[in-house]
Amino acid sequence: MTAENRISLSRHENKLTKSVKMYLRDIKGVIGLFILLVFIVMAIFAPVIAPYSPDTMTDDVLQSPSLNHLFGTDHLGRDLFSRVIFGTRISLSVGFVAAGLSAIIGVFIGSFSGYYGGATDDIISKVIDTFLMIPAFFLILIIVSIFGSNIMYIMLVIGLTTWPRNARLMRAQALSIKEKTFITVARSTGESNMRILFGHVIPNGIFPVIANSALQMGGAILTEASLSFIGLGDPNLTSWGKLIYQGRPYMTYAPWTIVIPGIFVVLAVLAFSFIGDGLQFTFNPKNKGEK
Amino acid sequence: MPLLQMKNVDINYRMKKNEVKAVRDFTLDINERDIVGIIGESGSGKSTLAHGLMRILPRNGYMKASEIKLNNKDILNISDEEFRELRWIEMSIVFQKAMSALSPVHKIFDQMYDTILAHKPQVSRNEAEEKLSKLLEIVNLPKKTLNMYPHELSGGMMQRVMISLGLIFNPKLVILDEVTTALDVITQGQLLDEIKRLVNEFKLTVMMITHDVGVVNEVCTKIAILYAGELLEYGNVKDIIFEPFNPYTQALVESHPDLNPEGSTLKGIPGILPDLINPPESCIFYDRCKYRKDICKNGKPELQDYKGRKVKCFRVGELHG
Amino acid sequence: MYRLSFLCSFLEVKGLSSLGRFIIRRTLSIIPMVLLIVAINFFIIHLAPGNPAQLISGLEQPSPEVIEALEEQYGLNQPLIVQLGLYYRNIFQGNLGYSFIYGTSVNGLIFERAGATILLTVTAAIIAFIIGTLIAVWVGRRKTKVLDSIFSVLAYIFYAMPSFWLALVLILTFSSTFKLFPTSGMFNVRESYEGFAKIGDVLYHLALPCATLALIQIPVFFRVTRSSIDQVHQDEYITTFTAIGISRKKIFKKYVLKNAILPTITIFGLTLGYAISGAALVEIVFAWPGMGRLMLDAVFRRDYNLLLGIYFVMAVCICLAILITDIVYALVDPRIRY
Repeated sequence: MTAENRISLSRHENKLTKSVKMYLRDIKGVIGLFILLVFIVMAIFAPVIAPYSPDTMTDDVLQSPSLNHLFGTDHLGRDLFSRVIFGTRISLSVGFVAAGLSAIIGVFIGSFSGYYGGATDDIISKVIDTFLMIPAFFLILIIVSIFGSNIMYIMLVIGLTTWPRNARLMRAQALSIKEKTFITVARSTGESNMRILFGHVIPNGIFPVIANSALQMGGAILTEASLSFIGLGDPNLTSWGKLIYQGRPYMTYAPWTIVIPGIFVVLAVLAFSFIGDGLQFTFNPKNKGEK
Repeated sequence: MPLLQMKNVDINYRMKKNEVKAVRDFTLDINERDIVGIIGESGSGKSTLAHGLMRILPRNGYMKASEIKLNNKDILNISDEEFRELRWIEMSIVFQKAMSALSPVHKIFDQMYDTILAHKPQVSRNEAEEKLSKLLEIVNLPKKTLNMYPHELSGGMMQRVMISLGLIFNPKLVILDEVTTALDVITQGQLLDEIKRLVNEFKLTVMMITHDVGVVNEVCTKIAILYAGELLEYGNVKDIIFEPFNPYTQALVESHPDLNPEGSTLKGIPGILPDLINPPESCIFYDRCKYRKDICKNGKPELQDYKGRKVKCFRVGELHG
Repeated sequence: MYRLSFLCSFLEVKGLSSLGRFIIRRTLSIIPMVLLIVAINFFIIHLAPGNPAQLISGLEQPSPEVIEALEEQYGLNQPLIVQLGLYYRNIFQGNLGYSFIYGTSVNGLIFERAGATILLTVTAAIIAFIIGTLIAVWVGRRKTKVLDSIFSVLAYIFYAMPSFWLALVLILTFSSTFKLFPTSGMFNVRESYEGFAKIGDVLYHLALPCATLALIQIPVFFRVTRSSIDQVHQDEYITTFTAIGISRKKIFKKYVLKNAILPTITIFGLTLGYAISGAALVEIVFAWPGMGRLMLDAVFRRDYNLLLGIYFVMAVCICLAILITDIVYALVDPRIRY
């Protein structure tokens, strides 16, 4: 490694620690991160944390929350606390996979469109704008109801319908980055367009997409919950939304069956929007230095 | 009798952990009918001074002084409401960015009429319209400008609107805060001529804030040189531009193309502005001064009367004796 | 004098026609979107597993006559591109097809239900706009940190709520526990009210679904207005007015407000547009007889033609909401030149 490289690397690290410090200054972002970490631990160690098997039916049906059953039991006598813990796995993975897919598609299309410009860009950005206006939830609902409600389909469809916002953010970044001096330098040294795109444009412009992805993870969790609630969730898996769906017929005498899973959805979406806004705050060039 | 007396004015900005001391120990008297050019680089505190005088500093800014008098009346230790009453009546200000100095979604008439109402609530719409169209005529704008929105005017026209707005109550003191900076050269020239005419017509005393020595030379009678928050020299424009005493003034004049005798080369001023969070204990220009000696390092020079002007420099007697 | 008035009227006509041109231009610009939505519908039908005729009919075992009729209408035996053309033609003739399950036209089914959806969403959006903006203005005026934090956290929380869940919680609280409002429907089916009593009955049934939707949309308006007010406070004309000596109250009421609220008009249109689709889940929970409810039925009865029809109508509603907003905004904001 040459000295020059090392300097630029340490400068990069410096920037990273600065960004982390900046992020930690925002209390909402810290809270969001904390909630998310708790959920991730819950998802990974679900079998350890959950006191009962989530699917074991007992005769203690619709018991209200007690020390034995922290969140009570459902209509088949299953322990709701354990079911919620295991539900974290489904809801979180939907969030991560769907938003991740959306980010990947958005970054590719957006950076390509912004970097190459011209007629390609005109057409792509028109398409992006149009897709942005289409009500995504309905499209997802129709596709899932026709193609089947396998969890893979659900994640795929959410990802495939929510990428335009990422594409728009990435496109704007690419448009401004390609005018920067270091891109001109890279071009004049004969670097190929593909290398410039993947080596410079995307790494330097991806931050807004990352921030938006956090928000979209929350959105994906909401979408999955809504699908499950109208009975279009994966029939073999129990997400938080599914728990609400299952609890609904009994809600008047066992309100905990719907209230508790709902609180978890709210907390997850809240965490993601805190994180997303925190990231946006961190990466906003206006906030550099003061405050 | 000076119109505006300022004694030991300090203006600071509170930051997260420390304070920026933007203007320090500024003392100056401005006489009636003087046209004073306050000149300095960006960061010299010249706009801060104007905003402090008008009490429109941003939230984190505050001003201290031992005395500020306008027309022999204390305007430092009066309440915000008392100050509000004399705003625009006694003194007004015209800002640099004319295009954004008025609300974009209200007609110019509405905003000028509200200005009148703020101090003379009994004035009717018709009276206001009559007064305002006359005023616009004076700055060479058609009457229909009143019914337009800011974005429908050019930068030069908006600046004229802002000047006429500042003249509504015919105040004694008008502060012009970089009014020509955002304009192109031709519009700038026209506007300066206009200002010269208005100064006579309205018998104004003007504080003209600018970074352009050429503008000062053309319009002003007096010049005050501000550097990193301190006043370095004050006196008649012609004297100072002909023979600057303070080394910074000298560098400033030398760096201006129009004021240079033919043949001499243009010089920038090497170095950067001193730290305003912990201003040096030495002469403020020490780091960049080409005449510096060891005595300049120890303590601050006083602003002294010297040959009919005020100068702040340890070596002035030595260099210009 | 005569010449002057003539000039004035001429200018006015010219102004009107330029507005007209603006409206036409904006209207034309939503056409690609409608085309795209129709194309998406078309491709969904053809990408779906199984026979398109079966899919459109929604029947397990469509009779040969049904298949023949569908093949005729949609040109199912012809090349794909011709089919797309026929599909467009059908839609632009205003024919969304036939629901074999309901045994009636999709147009009729949707038309029957659209009123209820529009009543619900428009009422909710207006209430949310008023409340959200008012809170933001109130908080923005006071500039107290505590108040600001409380409302911004509340905004985050309500924004994070699934609409159907909030609906259930409201039912639990206001219907099951306090018995204040009905849980479902649009009318009291046991009584047949007339006139004002009928309107009152509808409003009574509207309360909870409308509250649900409004509560979820209030944060949107609150946040937009709040940040807009903050931004306007930093604008330079505020400094001008302060220097002039115009009172704080007047600066806020006249200048800050107008500048800050204009951008929220755009949000109103967008929110209204999405509320039409977002309301579906709330309609389902409250058994509100709107398009959302119809959609759920269509999902379970596998009536895909109806489902696609609803989707198309909703998308067009969103386009219209955006279009109307654009026009209203252009009329209100003097900076927009059309």
